[in-house]
Amino acid sequence: MTFEPAGRSLSDFTVELDVYSGPYEWLLALILKDELEIFEVPLRELVGSYLGSREQGAATGLERDIDFAGSAAALILLKSRTLSPALDAEAEGGEDEALSPEELAERLTEYLKIRRAAERLREIFASNAGHYPSAHTLPPKPGRLRIKPDRVTLAARQTFSRLIEPPVRHLGPITVTLQELAGMIRAALARGPVSYENLTRDMDRLNRAVTFAAALSLAQEGGLTLAQTEPLGPLTLKPSA
Amino acid sequence: MTDVERGQPSPEHLLEAVLLVSAGPINRADLSSATGLSTQEMQTALSALAERYAPETSGIVLRSVAGGYQLSTNPNCSGAVERFRAEARPAPLSGAAHEVLSCALYLGPLTRGAVSRVRGVNSDAVVRSLIERQLLAEVGTDQDAPGSPALLGVTDEFLAATGTSSLDDFPSLESLVTQEELSRVRDRLAPGATPPDAGSVPP
Repeated sequence: MTFEPAGRSLSDFTVELDVYSGPYEWLLALILKDELEIFEVPLRELVGSYLGSREQGAATGLERDIDFAGSAAALILLKSRTLSPALDAEAEGGEDEALSPEELAERLTEYLKIRRAAERLREIFASNAGHYPSAHTLPPKPGRLRIKPDRVTLAARQTFSRLIEPPVRHLGPITVTLQELAGMIRAALARGPVSYENLTRDMDRLNRAVTFAAALSLAQEGGLTLAQTEPLGPLTLKPSA
Repeated sequence: MTDVERGQPSPEHLLEAVLLVSAGPINRADLSSATGLSTQEMQTALSALAERYAPETSGIVLRSVAGGYQLSTNPNCSGAVERFRAEARPAPLSGAAHEVLSCALYLGPLTRGAVSRVRGVNSDAVVRSLIERQLLAEVGTDQDAPGSPALLGVTDEFLAATGTSSLDDFPSLESLVTQEELSRVRDRLAPGATPPDAGSVPP
């Protein structure tokens, strides 16, 4: 739904309705932006208000009437569509099948109850209007009395939760330290360069991995140099010069 | 010698002071936590305060709303308060807004779509307006529906605005409509019934 531009001829037309008070052009804008429900706007009052504002013999009278008639017609169309949701459903693919009289009666009786509840609610609101609480508002933190247990639980969980550690049971017990293997490498290097393959020949998978970590650590400290001629090729440990 | 004569605040004074600085209703647990009063002391003090702040004798009234207690101005003095604040009383809610609140009150928590289905018209704008006025709030999501739409429910502000302590204070939905009214609706829709006069429907 779009409105034709109302033109500036209506810029001075203001309306006074229960649901809105102000320039007519803003009313159209609010309806288009869904800030105001067209269902709430009494079109008869709107037209009456416009007729009351007309000036006989004004120079722009005809232009103004045309602009208003165009926008009012669009409002009527929009309101009629809003009041007839079945038309929209049909346009969108007709998911809703026609209701049987029994189903329609069921819906209407449910709506009637809500309508009566709304009327009662209006009376309750009216009879309780005019109560103004203290204007003093507490700062939210600190000193807030109300503590929501679920939020405390969530905060604690986030604070104390840790990533799940990967399972290491398959690795077996660790029986050697990085320092021990570093000492073993230094002793081997005292006799000259040694290949990683020969150094770890009699070791299990875990010890080989720790030996590699120890060699990297020594290389970083400058205790040895690592030589590998090609990717994934033989690795040679050499004493530093 | 009384507590006041000894320079100690009385239970009524403690409650009065805490209630004064709260913009919203305070429940008994929070009142007890703040004042250190026992249940019995609080009950006695609240009764005394209710008497002191009765609408007939005070410009401030003690209200029991939204599951708690709240000091607020006497509605009889609202004109002076509004002039002092230089602001008008909030505009009364529209008919559509009352219907949406009734849906949330009696059928809720429910989704925006469910509200629109009951009313037969799109109610998104009204819902948005009521959320801004803090009378309606998203209280969860409908996990069974596609996209898990938000569920709407009434708020403590709604209870305070209606002067009620809980949802149980409202009459049942069934009691609000008579069997005669329901029968009339069914009769009108019965096959062969005369449709209502189209001219009587307001535009």
